[in-house]
Formats: sequence, C-alpha cells, structure tokens
Amino acid sequence: MVHVTIDGIELDVSEGTLILEAAQSQNIAVPTFCYQKRLAPLASCRMCLVSVENMPKLQPACATPVTDGMVVHTASEQVALTRQSMLELLLANHPLDCPVCDKGGECELQDMVFEYGAGASRFRDQKRVFRSRDLSLNQVIIFNANRCIQCQRCVRICEDVVGAVALGTIDKGMDSEVTGFENSLDDCDHCGNCIEVCPVGALMSQPYRYKARPWDLVETETTCPFCGTGCQLTIGARDGELARVRSKYETGINGETLCVKGRFGIDYIDSEQRIETPLVRRNGALEPASWNDAFDAMRGHIGDQSDIDGRRIGGLASAQLSNETLYLFQKMLRTVFHTNNIDSSNRWTGGIYDELPGLIGGLYSRQSLEEVISADVVLVVGSNVTDDNPVTDYLLRSKIRQQKNHLFLASVRPSRLDADASACVRLLPGDEAVLISTITNRIFDSRAGTHQSGVESLAEFSRQCAEAVKAATTVTVLVGMDFLRTPNAKLALPWLDGLIRRLQGSGKAAALQFLFDRCNQLGAWEMGVLPNHLPGWQKNGERLFEQAWDVQLSSDPGADIHEMLRRCAAGAMDCLYILGSDPMSAYPDRIQVENALSSADLLIVQASHHSATTKLADIVLPGAAFGEEAGTVMNNEGRIQSIRAFRPPIADTRRNIDILTQITEIFGGNFCGYSLGNLKPEHVFSEITQLVPSFAELSPANVAEEGALSRRAGYRDIPQSSALPLPSSVERTGQSNGKLTLVTGDCGFHSGYASEHSATLSGIRAEAYVEVRQSDCQAMGFAQGDLVKIRSPHGETTLSIRTNKQFPPGLAFVPENFASQHLNRLFKQGEFSCLVEILPNEL
Amino acid sequence: MFEKVLLRSLDVPESQDLSAYEAAGGFKSLASVLANHSPDELIELVKASGLRGRGGAGFPTGLKWSFVPKDTEKPVYLCCNADEAEPGTFKDRALMENDPHMVIEGILIAAYAIGAATSYFYIRGEYGVSTERVEAALAQAYAKGLLGQNILGSEFSHDIYVHRGAGAYICGEETALLESIEGRRAQPKLKPPFPAVAGIYGCPTVINNVETLSCLPHIVERGTDWFRSIGPESSPGPKLFCVSGQVKKPGLYELPMGISMRELLEDHAGGPLSDNFKAVIPGGVSAPMIPGSDIDVGMDFDSLAGAGSMLGSAGVIALDDTACVVRVAARIMEFFNHESCGKCTPCREGNDWAAKVLRRLEAGSGQREDLDQLAFLCAGIFGNSFCALGDAAAWSLGAALKHFRYEFEQHIDDGECPFH
Repeated sequence: MVHVTIDGIELDVSEGTLILEAAQSQNIAVPTFCYQKRLAPLASCRMCLVSVENMPKLQPACATPVTDGMVVHTASEQVALTRQSMLELLLANHPLDCPVCDKGGECELQDMVFEYGAGASRFRDQKRVFRSRDLSLNQVIIFNANRCIQCQRCVRICEDVVGAVALGTIDKGMDSEVTGFENSLDDCDHCGNCIEVCPVGALMSQPYRYKARPWDLVETETTCPFCGTGCQLTIGARDGELARVRSKYETGINGETLCVKGRFGIDYIDSEQRIETPLVRRNGALEPASWNDAFDAMRGHIGDQSDIDGRRIGGLASAQLSNETLYLFQKMLRTVFHTNNIDSSNRWTGGIYDELPGLIGGLYSRQSLEEVISADVVLVVGSNVTDDNPVTDYLLRSKIRQQKNHLFLASVRPSRLDADASACVRLLPGDEAVLISTITNRIFDSRAGTHQSGVESLAEFSRQCAEAVKAATTVTVLVGMDFLRTPNAKLALPWLDGLIRRLQGSGKAAALQFLFDRCNQLGAWEMGVLPNHLPGWQKNGERLFEQAWDVQLSSDPGADIHEMLRRCAAGAMDCLYILGSDPMSAYPDRIQVENALSSADLLIVQASHHSATTKLADIVLPGAAFGEEAGTVMNNEGRIQSIRAFRPPIADTRRNIDILTQITEIFGGNFCGYSLGNLKPEHVFSEITQLVPSFAELSPANVAEEGALSRRAGYRDIPQSSALPLPSSVERTGQSNGKLTLVTGDCGFHSGYASEHSATLSGIRAEAYVEVRQSDCQAMGFAQGDLVKIRSPHGETTLSIRTNKQFPPGLAFVPENFASQHLNRLFKQGEFSCLVEILPNEL
Repeated sequence: MFEKVLLRSLDVPESQDLSAYEAAGGFKSLASVLANHSPDELIELVKASGLRGRGGAGFPTGLKWSFVPKDTEKPVYLCCNADEAEPGTFKDRALMENDPHMVIEGILIAAYAIGAATSYFYIRGEYGVSTERVEAALAQAYAKGLLGQNILGSEFSHDIYVHRGAGAYICGEETALLESIEGRRAQPKLKPPFPAVAGIYGCPTVINNVETLSCLPHIVERGTDWFRSIGPESSPGPKLFCVSGQVKKPGLYELPMGISMRELLEDHAGGPLSDNFKAVIPGGVSAPMIPGSDIDVGMDFDSLAGAGSMLGSAGVIALDDTACVVRVAARIMEFFNHESCGKCTPCREGNDWAAKVLRRLEAGSGQREDLDQLAFLCAGIFGNSFCALGDAAAWSLGAALKHFRYEFEQHIDDGECPFH
C-alpha cells in the first residue's frame, strides 16, 4: 500500500494505482478523453494533467501511478487553466456543428467544455476541414473526421479488445485521420465498438443516423437475446420505436463492448416476418384468427384434460426465451398435459442429458467469466469463440494480453483468438473426447506416454496443454457448442467431468463453463426444460414438486426431441407444442423433421416470427418478441439477469407467459392463483426461487441491478465411473477420397435463426457461403466467389465459395444462420459433420 | 590549434574505407576492450570519462548503460540514433559519410558494454550517401570478422542492421524511433518503462547518438584523463558544432566543449555577414534563440541551460541584423507544425494554430491580439505536450517573442515586414 494525498484527502491505495483511479475512489472528478478503463493508457489528450508536488511539470493522472507520500492537486489554478487551454485547443478546429450532430446532448466534448471550458475562444482563423460530407465506412459506421479529437479510443479498442485491427490512423499532426484501409471498413466486424467509445460525433451509427436526439430517447436496460455471454445493453426507443442499442461504460460483463449482433441485430423484432395475429389451419391453409378461435381450435383437437395421454404429447422450447416463460412451459406440459416429453434444443445429438446433472448442476462454475479466465491455464474446447460468443472473445483477448496467462484453443475452425493462444489445434467434430482423455491421462496417469490419438497435432497439443496444467494452480475449461453437437459428446462429457474432478482433487482450482450460443440455454436446463429432470435437476416425479404444484407428476423418463420426432413420424404423437423454436431449419435432417412434423396430429407453434416450422403448424400463437416482455435469463456464468420490455407486445401478439397461463387455465390448471391479466414475471420468478435450489433466496430486486450469480446448491453428485472407455480420434477419411468435412455453426454476423430477421445484419451479410482452405479451393479449381454445389449423401445446396488461408485442409464450413439455405438437408439425424463433395454449379 | 579527433579524417581521401580507418589505428580500441575489459569495467570507464550524450539531452552515457538490467533473460538491443533531423544539424552525417567505421567501432564497444547481440542503425531516410557508406562499411566489417560471430576471435558476437527512416522528424525521439523500428506508427511512448528496461520488442534497449558512439574508440584509446582534459568539468570532451546561417564561414567545427559562442562564431566561423549578430540559435531550432548581445556564453550543456537555452544538437544558426525574427519564428513553427506527430492535443492543435497566426503576422496582417494568442499558445503547449517536440516549439517561439517583441509589433503596426 502507498500513502497519497489528493486535494487534501489522505488515502492508502495499492501499489500501481493510477492517480486517476485514486482520485475517482474519492469522487474527485478528473476529466479525460483518451482514457478508457479497458485500454492501455495513452496520455495523449492531456485533459487529466494534475499537479504533483516536487514534480516540475503537470502529470497525466491517467498514466501516472501514485507513489508513497505523493501529494496531488487536481483543482489548482494551474490545473484549471491547463484544462481550459486543452479544451480551447480542441475546439479551435472542431466544427461546432452540434445542432446537426447525432452526438449532441451526450457528447463528452460538449460536457467537458460546459464543465471546464472558457466562455469564448480566441481562435479566429480558418478551421481545418477534412471533407464536407460524412464518409460512409461501411453499412453501419459513418465518419465525420472534422469532429475527431484524436483520442484513439476507437483504434485501440479495435486492436486491443476486438483484435480486428481494422482501424488505424493515417497521416500525421493536424492531418491525422482515423480510418480503415482505403477509407473503408467493409471487411471489419461491424461491431460498432468504435462508435460506442467515440467521445464525440466522429464515428456514428448509420442505422441511428438522424433518428433521434438523445434526450428524446427512453432508455431501457436489458440483456442481449443472442448468445450466452449475456451482455448488458441499453435500448433507446423514441415514441416506442426502437432507435438504437448501446452499451454503457463499465456496465455488465461486457463493460462498454458489444458485438455486431447485439448492437445492430435487435431490429429483428421489427421484421416483416413478425406474426401479428393467431393463425389457424382451415381447409389446409393457415388463416388469421382471433385468440379465442385459436384456443377453441386447440381444445377441439385435444379435448378435455381427461382425454390427454401424456405419452402422446410433447414440447420443444427455444433456449432464447426467459426463465419465466420456460418454467411455465414445462410446468404446463408436466401439470396439464402430464408429460415429461420436453426439450430445449434441436441440435444436441442426444444421450447427453444423463451426464448433465453432475456436470451442470454440480461442477459448473457459477462465477464471473472475468474470474475464470484469469486462471493460469484456460483451455477452450469446441468453440469458435470469435464467431459464437464475440464478447467472450474480447474478454479472453484482453485478459491474455494483460495477464499473460496461457490460452489453449482446440477447435474445428480457426478463429482470431488463435493469435493470442499459447497453442491451438484443429479438431474434427468428435475429437473432443480423445482430446480430453489424452490431456487427462497425460496429467494424471502413468500410462500418459501412450496417448490414444493417432493424430500427431492432437497429441502434441495435449502434451503442451497437460504440461501447462501440471504447472498451474488454477485451470479453467470452457466448452463450446461443437462439443455438444457431435455424437461423441456422450463419450466426452464423462471425461470432462472426470478431468475437472481430478484437477480439483489434486488441489488445483479447476473451473468449468460452457460457451452457449443461445442466451438462456443454462436457464432452460435449470428450469427443467429437458425430459429427465424437473426444475433444478430434480428427478421426475419428485414429491416436492407434486406438493408445490398440487398434481401427481409422471415419472415417465420422458422423450427428447429425437424421440419425439420419431414418435411423430410413427404416428405415436397426438400433439407437439413448439415454443419459439424452428426445428425445420435447425434439426440436422430436414427430411426427417418435415415428415415428423407433418405426421403429428396437432402441431402448435408459439413464436414471434414466421419460420419453416410455423408454415407446417395447425395453430400458430403469436408471442411477444424480445423487448416486449420482461423476465430473466441465465448467462454462461450462471448469472441471472433481467430482460425488460421497452414497448408492449405489438399488434395482436401477447406475452408468452400470458399465452401459457391461458392455455393452462383452459385445460383446468392454474398458476398459484394468478390468472391472465394479473400475472407478472416476478410471480413466476418467486415460485422458481422456492423450487430451484440455484435460485434460492434470490429476489427480482437482487437480479435487477447487476444480475445475481445462481448458486451451486446441494446437487446430488453423480458417481464418477472409474474406468471410462478410451475414445479414439475421428477417422480422417475425407481427404483421401477428395471429400471435405462439412461443419456448421454461427458466422460472425448472425446468431441462430433470429438474427436473419434483422434488416441491418442481413444488410451486412444476407447469404450463406461455403468457406474452405485457400489451397483446397485452388486444388478443386474454384476461385473466391464462384457458385458451387455442395453435395452430401443426403442432399445438396448451392453456395458461393470463400477462401480462408487459416482453414485446415479438408474442412468446409457453411453458416447455419440462413434458413432458406436448407442446410440441414445435407445432414442426417445424429450427424454434426458430414462428408461432402464440392462440385461446379452447372453439374 | 585544437587537435581534431572526430573529424580527423575529414580531408583524408577514401576515409570511409576500412583500410583507411585501420591505417589511422581503427578497431584497436575494440580489440583492446575485448581483450582487457569486462563489460562492467567498460561502463565504469565511460562513466569516469564524463561523456554526455551528443544527441541533445546530454544524459551521461555510462549511467544510461548502467540502467540495463543485469539479470535480464531477454535480449538486449543497442540502437544507433542516426535520424539527424534537427534543422541546422549536420554532424552525424559527416561522421557517417567520412568515418563510418568509427561509428561502427563505437557501436561495438557500446554493445559489448551492455551485452547486446544486435544493433539497429537507424539512419535518417534522406541521408542517401550516409546509408550507402554505412552499408558498405558494414559489409567490409563483416568480411573482416569485425562483425558477426566471435568478433576478433572473442566470445563477443554482434550483428548490425540498418533501418532507414521514412522522413519523420519525430523518429529522432527515442521511443518513437523504437516504434518505427517495430513497424508501428512513429509516435512517442509513455515512459516509464524507459527503453533501458523495455525498448524494442519490450526488451532492454540503449539508444545512443552517432557522435556519442564515435567518442568511444577515442576514450578507450586515449583514456578518460585525456577526455576530461577537454572542455568543462561537467561536460567534457571534443564537440562538433554545426554552424550555419548568416556567418562568413559556415561549416562543421570540432572544438572543445564549452568554447564560447563568440569565439566559435567570430574566430572560427568568421563573424556575421552584416555588422552584428541579431540572435543565435545554439542547438538546432528546438533551442531558444539568444540575443546577439548575449553570445559570451559557453557552448556546453550547463552554460547554455543557464542562459535559458540549450546545447541540443549543437546546430548553431546565426542571424545577423538583416534577419527578420518574425519570419524565422514563422518558419520554425511551420516546421514543428509539419512534424508534429499528432498524438497529443497541445502540440497537434497548438502548433497548427500558432503557425496560422505567425503566417498572418509575417504577412503584415496581424493584430495586437495575435500576440496574446501566441502567448496563450506558448503557455498551453509548454510543459503540457507528450514529448519534447511540443515543448521545443513553444520554447523557441517564446524566446523570439520575449527578446524581439518589438519586431512582431512593428510587423503589426507597419502592416508589412520591415526587412523585405
């Protein structure tokens, strides 16, 4: 600790604390432009110069660590005059076009001049003008160089946090200009973090351009609906219309950052594909109907509760809905429809749910990502973090660069994080099991010398990773979605479970988190939206729930989505209720899912947007979209955070909880005495806290401010099987016979099937493509941009080809975010990767 | 007559050739150092010589070397700063063109002292002949085993890479120079960490000026007593003075440090072109001008600091009484404005503003309030800029305003330049 005096206030701070931080801790305001907490100090704007006794010059508070006995004055006349001078200098060439500047009203330069500036300027020469019209850098970023004050926050966040290095500075002195190559950012991430950190109106959002003045906006704090990182974002609405999304300084897991999806993709809620009224199939065609007609049709099909056979009914819900909606959904299915046939994803290959209670309920680290990625060794398996969870990627990059801890990256696709990794290896989907087992054996087993993998790169990566883990005291494993999608997941999960337990047993602090690509996958599981467990990982038929819900619960093991579809196709299902999900686009085997959904007697789809699945429905119930209903979601950290409504549900749509409550009532159930009209999400939350141990003792107020970490509370440990079978690596068959291994996942501009409805995101990337290694592309005789046909044993599709020098040989990637591509025609059920040929389009 | 040491071969034909350098006793100091001195002894020797950096700041060279951590696991780098860009300065160029092997020997001695296996020879981009001769000299030195592995049969190995600047004055600032070598935008970096701890690629790095390094073979050969016998106690040694401007015999002079400015300008450089000196800029345009009446001052670091200016790069620019100080000030400010890297607010914005005002004043369209603007700008820039470039701009303008305010006022009152 060092002792320092600031403006007469004496305090002790830890060594290395900056004068600025020490001052802020005492609520002493020191103005800054170039300072940004997440960026390395630049000390270039000179606004934060303060006087330090025994130092001849003023010192930049943002870059000067306090030393013992230091006496700082932040309010001396010299300091005040210097601030005034810096502002007069900055304003000399600033255009002062505040009346037409989007930033007016929330501009840091305006605020600083108001607070610290002189009343008048001495400057009377011509101002510098770069150009008289703003420069469009890409579809979302527009630039006015005249307003730029050269704080370089944009350039630094792009390089140091996003890792894109898309922005730079050209020329020097007064001609210094921030820009992209050839005045374009068309090839950048479009994340808009440069806009967010711009203190003035230099970098601006195109979608928000001239839409509103900041003081006209009503701002609503909420949680991003896309991936599981759980970024906090602020929706600005003018007269109830979505105007923009921004992120607040040092708020939420994301601080001030967002990815392109969160910042620009929320307009998917205003898509023309919104379903505005209930639809009922009459004479083979879906027709608009009233809510009463829709409910009548439902009752007509299903009959009374006494007619319901729980084995012949099932539900599938999207993991992007709130805990409250998901809780009510499974409660409705379990209490009114007497079924455990419940699932929350189309994409897991099955057989994994038995492994989850111990892993998710017991081992999962419910702590901040910031904390877990501070571990000596961070191993990421099965994720392209850059595309799947962009803000997690930012946090990892910042942490690894600052702390110089080790990142080991095992993934199918290359990503931008590779550059910061101590080692990385390219897997084929399904290799995760052999990777984890080899690492485990290398760490703990004398047999370690013999690794199971015949693949040299895997063996070498495992060796390096194991060595680093042995030397570490803290280890974190982050598991991506590729891991859960391969059929080998059920082999890999026990090894993962074993690795974490053995690390913990050997005295290391071992953390485990998943990198879900859906915002509430963890919550969906905690809410019991899976066939074999009640909320909170309780066993089916658990007495506690029977008492609380006042019903007799089925102890049937329940069917997952694969089994439900099989039963549908076999004519063994009366009703399938799909909430917010689109298996027709997502389920790997389009033909199978189409047969199944068409064979169900009654297909109810409750959704906010039209999809290939709603087209097959018998009854479509239009639910509220994101931003139209409140609730909570649980992010990858296990943190429960609020989502809030900034407007009521549009047209004839209704809150999802209202729809579920009404159906519950129609079929004779009730929700603890609350009925349609007086049910609030808080009531549901309150019931969850009583029944789900990880939510125990939480209140909406706990969650409201910064979110609340759920608790790892009293789960039954699943005994670890001592002798797990040794998995082997995936056969590398494709390359030998000229075929490529096709994988899919999120591309950087889209998330699942929701973001395709965003006009902004689709403006940036409207079509799917197939990405292959550059040399593979050449060897096949194609050039970037060529239209090609991709053919698997099950189907084919036509796409343009893109090349990537970093891609491993023999790999092809097609993003799954474009429903019209019908990519799932190429896969059969249970496949995550499949072998494909790439052929000229004419054939 | 003072014995020329650094410029001894100025008139020797083909002096840039290794054979000529060896004929003059070249590389004997290196051999002696490798055979007889440990690196620490060498550092002590240079400390004892009192050698101060000739690049401008006058920091004691041996002390600078001693800041390199002894137990570092990282490679240590030496950088020869040959980005001689200070207007009025042409001493390093003469050394590189005429005696490149002397510089190379100096580099090797310094590199041995600090334990560097690699040096970067950062040469100003405009210095074509210097670059050619340094590169030719390096090739000769490699061929002779004076560079590369096991130099002169010793354990000491060293490589020198030439890195050419691309025309930016700021690259003479040592941290900007390092950024430039790394391929980044040449802008000064925050200190600490100082380059001696974290310089090129985050490794310990010493940056020495060409003339500083050229002194080393002579200090080794002739001893510290010889070196200290020249010039004042606090800054001893021979010194190169680049005299330009309105003098009868402009040129490069090697004289004892501390020689009086009057002696330098009147006895050696032949006096003013007209009757009197109006002002003298003693150390490149970064150094504030001294009125012609005050030239009885020692040309060394401390004496000039006492006179409110600095020795800087010893680029002595003389102005006689026909010179227009407003024009000189305007030209200097145009230079600093053009060369401002743009990083910090006061230098970027302030120099541009000041240049605009000075243009007006020089053209005779200035107003009295313009002098207040300039005073405001000098105060706003000086002491507040990120590196010394902004300080220099404000400091030199401040001196012109202080000593020659009446000339500025005359321009305003007359509406034109009284000298043209």
